[in-house]
Amino acid sequence: MSYYRGICNFCGTGCGHLLQVENNRVRGVYPLPGHPLSRGRLCVRGWHIHELLQTEERITRPMIKEGDSFRPVSYEEAIEFTASRLKNFRGREVACLGSPRASNEENYLFGKFARAVMKSNNLSLTSDAGLEESARILLEGCGFPAMTGSLSELRQAEFIMVVGGDLTKQNPIIASEIHFARRSGAFLATISPRKTQMARLSQKHLRPNPGTIWLLLEALARALQTEGLVKADYLDDKIENARQYLEYLDSLHLKQVSELTGVEEQEIILLARKFYESESAYVFYPVGIQSLDRRSMSALLNLFLLAGKPGRPAGGLCPVTGISNLLGSLDMGVSPAFLPGYFPADKEISWKRLEELWQVSLDRTPGQSAGSCLLENQSLRALLVVDHDEEIIRHINRIKELDFVVYFGAYQNAFAGLASVVFPRLSYVEEDGTYTNSERRVQLSQKKVEPPAGIRPLWETLSRLAGALGQPWPYKSAEDIMAEISRVVPQYSGLSYEKLRASPGIKWPVDDLHLSGTEYLLAEEAGCRFRFVFDRSPDRFQNISSVNEGRFPFKLVVGRSNYFWHQNSVMKRTFIPKREYNALLLLYPKGFVEISEEDARALGLREKQPVRIISEAAEIKLAARISPDILPGMLYIPYFIEEMISGFLHHQASDLEKNEEFFLPVRLEKVE
Amino acid sequence: MEKKLVPIITVPEVATVTDIREEIAEVRTFYFTFDRPEIEQAFKIRSGQFIMCTVFGAGEFAVSLPFSPENDRKHISVRKVGRVTSALHELQPGDRIGIRGPFGNGFPFEEIKGKNLVYVAGGIGLIPLRSSIIHVLQHRSDFGRLILVYGARTSRDLMYKDSIREWQATRDFETYFTIDRPEPGWNGQVGFVNQLVAGLSLPAENTVAFVCGPPVMFNAVIRELKLKGIKEQNIYSTLERHMKCGLGKCQHCAIGRTLVCVDGPVYTYKQIRTLGEQI
Amino acid sequence: MYWLSGDKVSLLVDRLAEDYAVYGPRRDEVSGEVIFDRLNLLSRLDLQAAIPYNPPKYVLFPQYEEIIKYLYERQSRKVTIEKIDKLQPKALIGLRACDLTGILCLDRFFLGQEFVDEVYLEHRQKLFLISNTCVRPFPQCFCVCTDSGPAAREGFDLDLTFTGQGYLVLVGSRKGQRLVEEIGLQEAGPEAMARRKKIIDESVSSFDNFALENKAWISRATNRLTTGFIKPEVWEYIGNQCFECGACSFVCPTCSCFNVEDVNRMGGATDRVRTWDSCSFEGYTKMAGDHNPRKPVEDRRNKRFFCKLSYSQSKKYLRPGCVGCGRCARVCPGDIGLPNVVTYIRREITGE
Repeated sequence: MSYYRGICNFCGTGCGHLLQVENNRVRGVYPLPGHPLSRGRLCVRGWHIHELLQTEERITRPMIKEGDSFRPVSYEEAIEFTASRLKNFRGREVACLGSPRASNEENYLFGKFARAVMKSNNLSLTSDAGLEESARILLEGCGFPAMTGSLSELRQAEFIMVVGGDLTKQNPIIASEIHFARRSGAFLATISPRKTQMARLSQKHLRPNPGTIWLLLEALARALQTEGLVKADYLDDKIENARQYLEYLDSLHLKQVSELTGVEEQEIILLARKFYESESAYVFYPVGIQSLDRRSMSALLNLFLLAGKPGRPAGGLCPVTGISNLLGSLDMGVSPAFLPGYFPADKEISWKRLEELWQVSLDRTPGQSAGSCLLENQSLRALLVVDHDEEIIRHINRIKELDFVVYFGAYQNAFAGLASVVFPRLSYVEEDGTYTNSERRVQLSQKKVEPPAGIRPLWETLSRLAGALGQPWPYKSAEDIMAEISRVVPQYSGLSYEKLRASPGIKWPVDDLHLSGTEYLLAEEAGCRFRFVFDRSPDRFQNISSVNEGRFPFKLVVGRSNYFWHQNSVMKRTFIPKREYNALLLLYPKGFVEISEEDARALGLREKQPVRIISEAAEIKLAARISPDILPGMLYIPYFIEEMISGFLHHQASDLEKNEEFFLPVRLEKVE
Repeated sequence: MEKKLVPIITVPEVATVTDIREEIAEVRTFYFTFDRPEIEQAFKIRSGQFIMCTVFGAGEFAVSLPFSPENDRKHISVRKVGRVTSALHELQPGDRIGIRGPFGNGFPFEEIKGKNLVYVAGGIGLIPLRSSIIHVLQHRSDFGRLILVYGARTSRDLMYKDSIREWQATRDFETYFTIDRPEPGWNGQVGFVNQLVAGLSLPAENTVAFVCGPPVMFNAVIRELKLKGIKEQNIYSTLERHMKCGLGKCQHCAIGRTLVCVDGPVYTYKQIRTLGEQI
Repeated sequence: MYWLSGDKVSLLVDRLAEDYAVYGPRRDEVSGEVIFDRLNLLSRLDLQAAIPYNPPKYVLFPQYEEIIKYLYERQSRKVTIEKIDKLQPKALIGLRACDLTGILCLDRFFLGQEFVDEVYLEHRQKLFLISNTCVRPFPQCFCVCTDSGPAAREGFDLDLTFTGQGYLVLVGSRKGQRLVEEIGLQEAGPEAMARRKKIIDESVSSFDNFALENKAWISRATNRLTTGFIKPEVWEYIGNQCFECGACSFVCPTCSCFNVEDVNRMGGATDRVRTWDSCSFEGYTKMAGDHNPRKPVEDRRNKRFFCKLSYSQSKKYLRPGCVGCGRCARVCPGDIGLPNVVTYIRREITGE
């Protein structure tokens, strides 16, 4: 046989595919029919994963940096050297950056290495900020940290709302399921300033001004209230702080909201009604690099609760992850906020439990994300990084100052050059591992090809390092690690490789109560008690009104693009997806900024005319690309243009990391 | 009698770059000879054809042939526009390149015998026309009047200055040159090519035009030629498209029902107009 | 016509396996879905299985294939180029009629017109083809609308038709004749031809009951596509639903667009690689520099359907480019497989 079943490793959809293997090389890919979510479909990225897996730009040996170059060494030497250096650093001096592309087993062990061996809680992913925030809000609001619904029920949906992001580009197959749901009768609404493809496929598209999505969502809740669509007995019964929230909503005036968001009052009321009237509802929002902000995510939760939607089938609050195992990585506790299994790091009981399970003493010092450490933590001296995309290069100067940097990676990239020691890692087809998609589906990806000679699995490298640092670990295989995960992570307690081998994935929680997994959050199980999540800040409009006028009249929004998004190091090893990315850059070799037809006309701009974008801190020259998808007053640049990340946006790096609602006040000048 | 052409189809033939000349900014001419003498001997082209050129380690690109089928050094003139052509520009004399081809239809000299010929080129649009001009000069008596109208942005952007000097010295060859803006030392015209074309007096019935250049110039020139009553089937151009195989198989160069690599690259304007795509 | 009893199929397959790498339909253990795959275990061949999810196109026209390999030594400026030979002969057994028609289309395209594609030719010369009549259509099928099934008419070495007890074997070539004689098949008797025809007729008449997923009455659409009289709004409606994944081209038994890249390998050698491509991609027609003659997504959709269904394009294949296998409808994230597009075009014509 040459076709083997597997799981696509690009985005958080987790589509099933067939990999064609010949002479130990992956020569082709085909969608897996009968996969319960992807149902025999793949997107442009998924259709070309074999091109990536053909690359020979691998890291094949451990290497130690000497001067400006690397010396290939044996594993023994690399481990001995690394251990001898690492033992000099502890706790706050260390930061560990896991990879949302790595398996649950790898991330679990990497987290254990950080916490148990390095005694450091500076443990994160790059793109976790949004997902972690979402998990915190969902936990607080409904006691469940991830997608409360299930994607496999999407085609039965009655109402679907997609908020922010560009779902057809980021998670095309989830978007496809939504498209099919709409074609079989669901009502589809999109809330996004940009006229995305999803917006074009929707019956209703509300376009709030950049930065006002959260306000529009609160207004939808307010409209439920003013239209008399709120059931008082349900609220009193199920929701602890219902009265406080209703009071909070009281002060919101739809007319004022309409002015600030640019969305008509009538439209808000209409959508609120539609939402209320549907038996169940799906709400999608992106988490990851480009995520909805905290206020919008909270407002969505509140709207969902207020309309009485939780706990119903064919619906749910659905954070969508951009990278294959982003959710799994957070499940494994690669986060300063959560220990494995979403035990909060600020509760002593979480630490006691983990110390007992791991039989080791742990440090309780609150941790930071690796990104924040690089920006703010002056005592940082050592950095451990697993298979990283290149955007961390933003912190290149700080990284160069560090005493010791360890990189575990499968492919050669610019980051590896900054490391003191480099360890090779297997690609995902060379080793067993589990990956958890957006809908909590844990899928086993089995080994399909033999790795290049001499490369050892990451779990083995980490185990040997732990051993060299005085903590012998017993793992003999990835399966052993899953056995431990099932003891440490309650949501995974019923999972085993044996079970996963015979299934197309199982959605956590999998435990004694849910032997075959969980489709959607049952209200009864959530303890029947929900909470609205909101801040009663005195001036909720503060940030909105101040940016409209003045020296910087445009709102510049930064977005991802279909073929490339933020995964340079991955996509540049393909042909077709890379070409499609280059296609845009060929048309606009110096990058581009999108501007509305109206604004372009007012400014007398021609297509491709060079313009200067000026913010408070920096400026950049780009070509204008006139687009019907852009609202007047808004500018849009795709995230992938390297110059922008390293130069122009560098000054805004910390803001940019926060969320999608982030925009930069700028002005635009023609270059004559 | 022309010998039957046997193009190189799949495996490129190795050739040595013998000489490199800076033509204008970003455009260089690469002279080459095939390493195998029998190929050097057998490699015959028609004016208007193209080849696929491999830059080893970088890739392959399609390029039209500027040299004449007879008594001319083999060369290509290439603008640095992408990754592969940039790699070509890195080469030094003595380096090797790979050649497949020649491909495409070429100009129909048999059909236009006895006619007046007007060549209109803008910028590097002269590259695909050069071969044909030299061919006509070599068979001068077969044709009527011979006119070249050539324009570029500045005098520094005019291609093939040596050849042009020779052509200017030829009797029976009317040449007109223009640049966009006045320059010190420039004796030719100033303005756009189409304005020069407008000024020509041409008998509509017996004239054939060859037009190559950027889309804006192309369309403006076509307009002028049509105003002179020249029929669309008597206006020729060569189309450039993204190509991967040259054999009519990869389909990258498909326009409507035609494939530029085998049906073209030379088309009459009448054909082009019905293709239903931008030029 | 010969007779192959059900228990003798292995005889045929084992004989083939002596000279060929054998490919055929098999079921996936977990999902039960059917894949056309290399059969390392010959017992996995399942001639009763439904039409495979993937067409056998990849065997002749691989998704990723090195066509030449070269080494350029920068110091000595020495070049060595070698053509990559495909040595292994392959047998495809259990081809559905639509997929065999697909191969015939590829033949006419790659081996016909101005040039013979040498890379394809090498694959093709070493093939042994055994088709398998669809005695009952599958839900996605519309080969009766595209004149490409349910039974093969030409192009096979052997053709099988299941009767319930065994197979009627039709010989299509001398290669096929030799094989039949080698394994000692008996003549099927004078009624065999009529029996085969009856089975096929029954299959055709059961399309109304079983082939319910797609209806593609392509003739009217062909007319419209050829003349180009289709409103831009129709293409825009279709274009809005296109996710630009390329799947329709990749799963189509007759789509043959490819891309070529030179890939530098470790050790200094370079492979010239040919990979599947799709005209639905924006970068497909893009030229180096600054020019893309075909930009909006609806133009590119338009282009593909023109290629599949217009009269002028059918010159390439001497028939329509669609073989009615229904795969594009199954893999399309936008639900704009060819049958739906035909429906939208017809809807415009009929004003329904």
